[in-house]
Amino acid sequence: ANLKISHVRPQGAQVDKDLRVFAEQVTQATGGKLKFDLFPANALGDYTVVQERISVGAVDMALQPVATGVNKRLQIGALPYLATDWPSAKRVFGKGSPLRAAMEDLYAKQDITVLAAYPVYFGGISLNKPPVNPGDPDAKKGLKLRVPPIKSFQLLADSIGYIGSPLPFSEAFTAVQTGVVDGVIGSGAEGYYASFRDVTKYYLPMNTHFEVWYLLINGEVLNDMDKADRAKLEEAAATFETSRWAAAEADQAGNEKKLQDAGAQLVPVSAEALAANARNARAQVWPEIIKDMGEAWARPIVDSVTK
Amino acid sequence: MMDRLFKIVLTGLLLIVAFFQAVQVVTRYVLEIPMMGLEEMLIYPTLWLYVLGSVNASREDSQIRANVLDVFLKTQRARLKLAVTAEVISLGIVAWLTWWGWDFFRYSLRVWKESPTLYVPTFYSDCAVFIGLLLMTLWTVKSLIKHVRVLAAHNPSLDAEVNNG
Amino acid sequence: MVESALLAFGVLVVLLTLGVPLPYCFGGGIMVMVFVGGATMKGAMLWGFGQLSSPVLLAIPLFVLAGTIMSSSGIAGALLKFVDVFVSRIKGGLGVVATVSCAIIGAISGSGLTGIAAIGPILIPEMERKGYPRAYATALIANSSILGLLIPPSVTMIVYGWVTDTSILACFLATLGPGLFIMAAFSATNLVWARKFPLVLDAPVSFGGFVSEASSRALIAVPALVMPVLILGGIYGGVMTPTEAAAVSVIYALPVGFFIYRGLTMRALFDAGKEAGTAVGAIMIMILFSLILSQMLVLQNAPQALVDTIFGFTTDRTLLLILVNVMLFLLGMVVNDITAIILVAPLLMPLMQAIDVSPVQFAAIIGVNTAMGGVTPPYASILYLGARIGKVKVTQVIRPAMILLVVGYLPVVFLTSFWPSLSLAIPTFFGY
Ligand code: NA
Ligand code: NA
Repeated sequence: ANLKISHVRPQGAQVDKDLRVFAEQVTQATGGKLKFDLFPANALGDYTVVQERISVGAVDMALQPVATGVNKRLQIGALPYLATDWPSAKRVFGKGSPLRAAMEDLYAKQDITVLAAYPVYFGGISLNKPPVNPGDPDAKKGLKLRVPPIKSFQLLADSIGYIGSPLPFSEAFTAVQTGVVDGVIGSGAEGYYASFRDVTKYYLPMNTHFEVWYLLINGEVLNDMDKADRAKLEEAAATFETSRWAAAEADQAGNEKKLQDAGAQLVPVSAEALAANARNARAQVWPEIIKDMGEAWARPIVDSVTK
Repeated sequence: MMDRLFKIVLTGLLLIVAFFQAVQVVTRYVLEIPMMGLEEMLIYPTLWLYVLGSVNASREDSQIRANVLDVFLKTQRARLKLAVTAEVISLGIVAWLTWWGWDFFRYSLRVWKESPTLYVPTFYSDCAVFIGLLLMTLWTVKSLIKHVRVLAAHNPSLDAEVNNG
Repeated sequence: MVESALLAFGVLVVLLTLGVPLPYCFGGGIMVMVFVGGATMKGAMLWGFGQLSSPVLLAIPLFVLAGTIMSSSGIAGALLKFVDVFVSRIKGGLGVVATVSCAIIGAISGSGLTGIAAIGPILIPEMERKGYPRAYATALIANSSILGLLIPPSVTMIVYGWVTDTSILACFLATLGPGLFIMAAFSATNLVWARKFPLVLDAPVSFGGFVSEASSRALIAVPALVMPVLILGGIYGGVMTPTEAAAVSVIYALPVGFFIYRGLTMRALFDAGKEAGTAVGAIMIMILFSLILSQMLVLQNAPQALVDTIFGFTTDRTLLLILVNVMLFLLGMVVNDITAIILVAPLLMPLMQAIDVSPVQFAAIIGVNTAMGGVTPPYASILYLGARIGKVKVTQVIRPAMILLVVGYLPVVFLTSFWPSLSLAIPTFFGY
């Protein structure tokens, strides 16, 4: 049977195109022995459910964000300002880093193997109202931002001077439109263009967090695979990751451009401002999340990637 | 007694949900310090409300049905037979679903997933599926027994009156 | 694969006919998919239960409770007496009020279930009191409840905009035209149909009498009139989301019902809670199993197979548009609206481009069709909730519902496909 791959973006999105190329390569390399069915746009459920479905073997593969419900240590990659620029992102999240090894271990406990990482973007803030003092994290801006139901984002919004308001995603668009909240945090230019471009008047590329998705496969499915096929799959996955690292930065710039073309104003953020925001987030968010994950486990990993 | 219990529990769950939502409006709009984790806590009473509401529908024998065939049957006896048939089938299906509810119960107990910000175990709502389906199965058995008894005691000669009436 | 899907559908219909409770009918369909179609139940409950916690559904029990409390407390009574001043001398006037109320509720909520949830408990008993058959009143409100998905905002249009990379605001506006037409069509159909009912009408009154009647009833209705103002103002004033508004209306109704209109007692409150909880629970468990079944069909690529089968053999524009409608109608019978849009919109998009249907017009086409799915059995969650709230048999409500659908809704479905301005005029006016 064809391997079922779930992912979180609509058909035709960059990630969808990239995955189709990957699937095609594997199918060719294995002489048609490995074939894939793609299920875009969360058709098999949102990433939290799909991760569990992979774990029990009901779905074979997925390319998606990290769901932390089963093991809160998986939050480690979601710490804000863990990486501040592209070279540091690659160092923190790339193959062979201590953080990557930790993630692979945690996934393995759920019988899930990480085939590749897919760097997506640096996060930013989408606003429907003019920004207030974006460079000064200590300035109380009086702006409410919709935060996703993820603890680090909720703490992040408050640590850099916004009022973080948890709201369900399905109500977020209308909430920005009517003014229940003034903007959104937790995604990047690509995500805002896809879901919020009609209500994004300003985009602040604050590099709030580095979004990484992982290409996951059920451990049993992988183990039962013919050795040669498995090698081809892993080889294609490695290529998939390498080419994405090469393309991600330009892709992000492209999405910022698309947001601007849709009428948003890009508000530049200086290096000093970024550093100040990062300082606040690290001081206020990190201790809390690290405590949740277990100081003894998390601290050495965080220290080793941020040195 | 049972009716009273369901009245209190269902009303209580609904009011809790309403109260939590209203609190969020006040904390966000008036106080400007929205409470973290309130929406994830809402899910627990909500899911229990859905499940227990459905259990009560089974108890009251008021699950939604579209018994098209019933309309065409002439005699009370035929209707009773149809009701028994439908209940036997229902029992088979709900028992099978309950088995899978049990499977989900054990799974949820094993992985012990937690909510994203307050780390409350989702088992506390997940277990509702199995418990609810089990109760629905039991009430289906009860209503099947009731209908079989009525059918056994049914006097076919009464049908003429039903039809004329 | 398609065979097992068809068999599952067949079994679902047979069980339904036999009078098996709806959740188990879908359970039977699931069993067919597992034992014949090779689908797996592994993780299915996990998936389905996860979907049930969707915030989109959360407002429904609150709206039902608010409606039930309003109805039993005298709040709705005061509102209706006020509305009565204007419509009680017109044959079918109250039916028009029902339809327009659903449209107004539609303007605050993005779901098709809200209208019947909030308006049903109030207007079904009132319409019956005025001489409308209960089943008809239920059918009219359930059908009008679909307007929640057509008058913006709408959850389905948000999803459509996302999967097809179309402006969400443009999609919102695209279904507004068809929505208003459907509102008018239901109102007109109701006015004609209502002539057949033994309606209780008030005697004609002089202008002076009318004014004094209106003002005295308005005064009594003031605390009740605050409620819609609170909801609409709260949402459009950026204070709260629709779900929160549902909760606030419950919280507001309690003291007003207990202390101002005094119709609310502890006993009535507990009765209302049980009613609301049971109606919503019965629907949600049905939705749980119908979602699991439709997910099994998705995993087997059944929707894609359906599209391929239907579009294999023609390139004629008119025929294609008719086929799109037929296919969406069939799909609406088995899967819920959001699933249908996620799966089928991207598949049909290239076809639509080939025959020069713009993405915004297609939003309206897919919007009116999938919305209709909520009242077409076997997956007819809106109609079933209506039957449960109106306390009428599903078999009784289906007939008037289908007649209203054919007379009031279907013509607009076809107009949407063949008259682009219906969906494009408003978005164009706003610059999309
Ligand atoms: Na709406
Ligand atoms: Na339907």
